[in-house]
Amino acid sequence: MPGNFLIGGSWANDVCVTWGGMSFQADGVEDGLDMLKNMFGHDLPGMYWPFVGCQRLFMVRCWEVQDNGQTVPKAQQMHTGPVLDVCWSDDGSKVFTASCDKTAKMWDLNSNQATQIAQHDGPIRTIHWIKAPNYSCIMTGSWDKTLKFWDTRSPNPMMSLQMPERCYCADVVYPMAVVATAERGLIVYQLENQPSEFRRIDSPLKHQHRCVAIFKDKQNKPTGFALGSIEGRVAIHYINPPNPAKDNFTFKCHRSNGTNTATPQDIYAVNAISFHPVHGTLATVGSDGRFSFWDKDARTKLKTSEQLDQPITACCFNNNGNIFAYASSYDWSKGHEYYNPQKKNYIFLRNAAEELKPRNKK
Amino acid sequence: MVECDADWELCKENIQPLRQGRAISALHQALTQQQEGNSAVLNQKKQAFECELRLYDGDDPLDVWVRYIKWTKQTYPQGGKESNLSVLFERAVTRFTDDKKYHNDIRYVELWIEFADNCSDPMDVYRYMQAQGIGIAQAALYIAWAEEYEKRGNLKMANSMFQDGIKCGAEPTEKLHVFHRALQARVCRQMMSLMTEQQNDDVDGGDEGPAEPQRSTLAELKSKGKKKAVVPINRVNASVGYARGLQFKQPVGPKQNARLVIFDENKAPETEPQEPRLEIWTAPPTARAKENEQKPEKWTNVKFPLKSRSGLSVVVPPPKPSFQPFVEDDDKPPAVTPCKINPAVNSVLSARKPCKLEQTPLKMLQERQQHMQLQQNEDGKMREQSMYCKELLYSGATEFCFEELRAERYRQKQQALKLQTNSSAVDHSSPN
Repeated sequence: MPGNFLIGGSWANDVCVTWGGMSFQADGVEDGLDMLKNMFGHDLPGMYWPFVGCQRLFMVRCWEVQDNGQTVPKAQQMHTGPVLDVCWSDDGSKVFTASCDKTAKMWDLNSNQATQIAQHDGPIRTIHWIKAPNYSCIMTGSWDKTLKFWDTRSPNPMMSLQMPERCYCADVVYPMAVVATAERGLIVYQLENQPSEFRRIDSPLKHQHRCVAIFKDKQNKPTGFALGSIEGRVAIHYINPPNPAKDNFTFKCHRSNGTNTATPQDIYAVNAISFHPVHGTLATVGSDGRFSFWDKDARTKLKTSEQLDQPITACCFNNNGNIFAYASSYDWSKGHEYYNPQKKNYIFLRNAAEELKPRNKK
Repeated sequence: MVECDADWELCKENIQPLRQGRAISALHQALTQQQEGNSAVLNQKKQAFECELRLYDGDDPLDVWVRYIKWTKQTYPQGGKESNLSVLFERAVTRFTDDKKYHNDIRYVELWIEFADNCSDPMDVYRYMQAQGIGIAQAALYIAWAEEYEKRGNLKMANSMFQDGIKCGAEPTEKLHVFHRALQARVCRQMMSLMTEQQNDDVDGGDEGPAEPQRSTLAELKSKGKKKAVVPINRVNASVGYARGLQFKQPVGPKQNARLVIFDENKAPETEPQEPRLEIWTAPPTARAKENEQKPEKWTNVKFPLKSRSGLSVVVPPPKPSFQPFVEDDDKPPAVTPCKINPAVNSVLSARKPCKLEQTPLKMLQERQQHMQLQQNEDGKMREQSMYCKELLYSGATEFCFEELRAERYRQKQQALKLQTNSSAVDHSSPN
């Protein structure tokens, strides 16, 4: 893969952006990107990144982000309904999009052709590419309470697993997959040979699950996940820890009035979690319009940003972890009354080389 | 058609009866759907109802709930956890408790009565309804309440229930009278049969030989063998609180306490059972058993007792609540039933551990109220505020996430647009 790609799917007017497999919503309009560049004035690292975003009409758009930060639109495809999730194939030649219209499409960037590869009985909420030694497939999680696996060449799923409730978020790091569902369901799947349910876990959180991200150990094997809820809390959960009571923990985040006990504390939803590919530290973004960096091993917060005027809906890191991208747009956390179509949505790119270094453990 | 009937016959025991009967076509459809495992269609319909509940902006939100519940009952004839019926009832009734306009709406009152049926103690629910003024102008409430009394053998109260209803001018009055007359007829019949029995006894006693020795009902069990361990007999007054679960008064075994009046079926009922003290309810009772559900709770305000240096734990006693918690008269923990069990001899049975006080919905409610009071009373405690549309997410029987709300909104807009473009002659549908 020559560089890092950013793609996204969208609701009617905003943009969903993903980078190397993570998706979020953002503004894909050109002036939005110019704003980004001006805003930071960083020297973006010398890398050739095609940058994909999604825009109106449920388009998925691919943009190339050049060294100097200039963005050039490259190609685009359409869905017939709002796009809820996007992912890349491992070789970067294809983009997969999951939509409210109950289908998932495969977009071949080389030929610029899009074909439907999946069909559910309800909107497809998550889509992930699985690359195993003996098979490759797409995993789709839907609100019809099923998790289906698709060989992109056949219209029928390779496998369909029943879930207790609607899929709300998922993450895949081979050979592990985690799905968080409605009613605080949490299921871990193992993907070796063929996908199968590994364990159902009692939720470590008391509120609705919103986002999940798998993290790896020092040997680069997936070992646990971070789960974010709708009420400002993230749980760090290891699959097979030596001491579960001590190793697993939760922490509060995305709340206001941290130390001021006189006024009630405002609690916001955690919209997305991303792990730094090199350092293993994590970033969370929330409805409060802030992002925070955390070191889960030292159990400390590394940084909290200033507050943006819109919620931050998604985030991701590029391959080498030098760049952190996050998108600001309305996450629908207060229903449709607070939706203002006039407000612009943005993607921000931030130099992440230094800020996510882990704290030295005592 | 004959085959269809046969199918229905095969599972009729599992089908819960509905008061108004079941539409046979709906029943067939529901049963075949379940057999085929056609859950996708059902899920979609359920999701559609959930969406409707949240996005409804008309004048009559109760209508959505009524239709949702009706559909659920028809689709899941067996009831059960899958149907989520008990949750639905609970949500529906609590949702509109403060809404005065529904208090005497017959649909709402019927929801309450069905909810009461599912509760462990319908009496509590009816009392609450009366205290809140729900259904007091509806005959249905008095009829259901009287029926409950009659079930417990309290014919006097059942009768007075009808009289209350007539006094309050409950509608429809004719129905009230019909049921009242039916009750009176039953009472009369019962009295007649009792009288004829007594007469027969008097008449026959002299003519025939001594009557066959009647086995006394529910007599003591005779123990066999060497082991003298005897299970004591606990008989609770049947009219009061039998439905409250296993709440035993003091064990009445072979040593009888004179204080307690033991109900004897062989004697005609003389004493009227005491009604527990009535107290105005501030919140409705819940139907669900506490063990099966665990609601998410805030953990931040829970504190463990501090341990001082010497290792003794110091517990700060919680401040007293400002209201008087309703306490039932028989609010004593059940004593362990005495019984000699020698573990060496009898390894199957073990001495029973003192059981926890049975949770009734009323107690659960009191505990929750006390807990909330404590939280509010504690000074300097952080209160929290969720910055998202909690009501919208949780207003149905299941939860929604932001995206589902948004998707539903989008779908409605699309439908409206489609209708517009279909009906309008000009066909300039913009890509947006």
